[in-house]
Amino acid sequence: MSDLKVKKPSKIEEMKAMSKKDRNRAIGDLLMNNAMFIIIGIAVIFIWIQEPKFLSMASIVNIVNLTMAKLPIALGVGGCIILAGTDISAGRQVGLAAAIAAGLQLTTNKLFPGLQVMPIPVAIAAVLVVGCIIGFVNGFCMARFKLHPFIVTLSTQLIVYGCLLMFMQLGTNSGQTLSGMSEAYREFVTGTLFKVGKTAVPNYVLYSAIIAVVVWTIWNKTTFGKNMYAVGSNEEAANVSGVNVEKTIIMVFMMAGMLYALTGFFDAARIASVNATTGLNYEADAIAACVIGGISFVGGIGKVSGAIIGVLLLQVIFVGLNFLSVDPNLLYIVKGLIILVACSIDMRKYLVRK
Amino acid sequence: MEQDTSRKEPQSSFRGLYRHVKISVKTLDKIIIGGILAIVLILLYGVSNNGYTITFDSNGGTDVPAQELMYGDLVVEPEPPTREGYTFSGWFKDENCLYEWNMEEYQVAEPMTLYALWIPETE
Repeated sequence: MSDLKVKKPSKIEEMKAMSKKDRNRAIGDLLMNNAMFIIIGIAVIFIWIQEPKFLSMASIVNIVNLTMAKLPIALGVGGCIILAGTDISAGRQVGLAAAIAAGLQLTTNKLFPGLQVMPIPVAIAAVLVVGCIIGFVNGFCMARFKLHPFIVTLSTQLIVYGCLLMFMQLGTNSGQTLSGMSEAYREFVTGTLFKVGKTAVPNYVLYSAIIAVVVWTIWNKTTFGKNMYAVGSNEEAANVSGVNVEKTIIMVFMMAGMLYALTGFFDAARIASVNATTGLNYEADAIAACVIGGISFVGGIGKVSGAIIGVLLLQVIFVGLNFLSVDPNLLYIVKGLIILVACSIDMRKYLVRK
Repeated sequence: MEQDTSRKEPQSSFRGLYRHVKISVKTLDKIIIGGILAIVLILLYGVSNNGYTITFDSNGGTDVPAQELMYGDLVVEPEPPTREGYTFSGWFKDENCLYEWNMEEYQVAEPMTLYALWIPETE
């Protein structure tokens, strides 16, 4: 029998062939590397036993809707993480985009007195341009001056927040919550796409799905996507092999900025009111979702499907905890711990592999 | 270029954001297990509470005690507050008293404050 013809042993066969000590270690690795999924699975079962309505059709549709609403921002942050960076200005960018979208769609506009409701494409274009500009600033500072992503995005976070506060002060609004958006805008985003039972699936679920497909295509099928993975896994090697590293970094952050802008555009209509705290801490959820979904901080590793799974799992947990009436203040502590544990698991995976 | 090859030598080196991290699998295991235990304990504490606190802001009227309710419960209609020179006109979800809270239909989904609306009495 030639060795070449031997089928590659499956994981179970491989495990049987190991010595007892190795097998225990392999099982330990498997458990530790999937600890987050195991704990989320246990939590879902626990919540379901306590509150069977949690896994009713209406609740599941609601969880999917929420997942799709948060997916674009997670994909944006995911791209930055694949570059071995991160983006902590994401949440504030969502807030600014939401305020701009709302500002162009108010029926009685206090920001720009006398301004008629703008057509929806104008609002989309406006938020995309703003997102692009902020993304460019982020990417440019990182690529040209080799600044650490945390420093650059921390400063843009504050700058964007300042702009948001100034924007809310325009006209006679004096910082009040923006509400009363035009019917056409709300219908465009939150109108019913189709119904599952009695629960409506809103239009933004479709838009978000389209965005996910586009991002998947960009990441997997274009030169730019391949360059992104190359720069993320080894910047110097990518540079030597002729990748324009600077351009790639800038473009990834511009794409991220546009994805945040779209999240904000949907959120303004979805929540129907925008104030200075819109988008606060969204980046924490997005980063946690990406890390849970296997988009790794080592750079160059991660898939669109990972981001979707991460966002979905987080939503399942937080909707479930809402069903159990858990104080939302506690959830911040839980989110912080989830990020810590998820990063530790992420590190462990790549430490063991070497 | 020589520096590059020397940098690749240490076996447990990371790339990316973890590049300066020096940590062993054992320590990571401790952090993971410790973190998960902390999450579980916090959630058990969170689940064992009495639900969401609904406070009533009587906007200058007599005090109304807060209620602790679970997700999906209806708010129990409290004794209406009183205020000299005004008539009480219902509880509202927002400070500006635009959205009235329907005690018979709306279910509690988060901790919140309800605001009283007062209409001045006309002689």
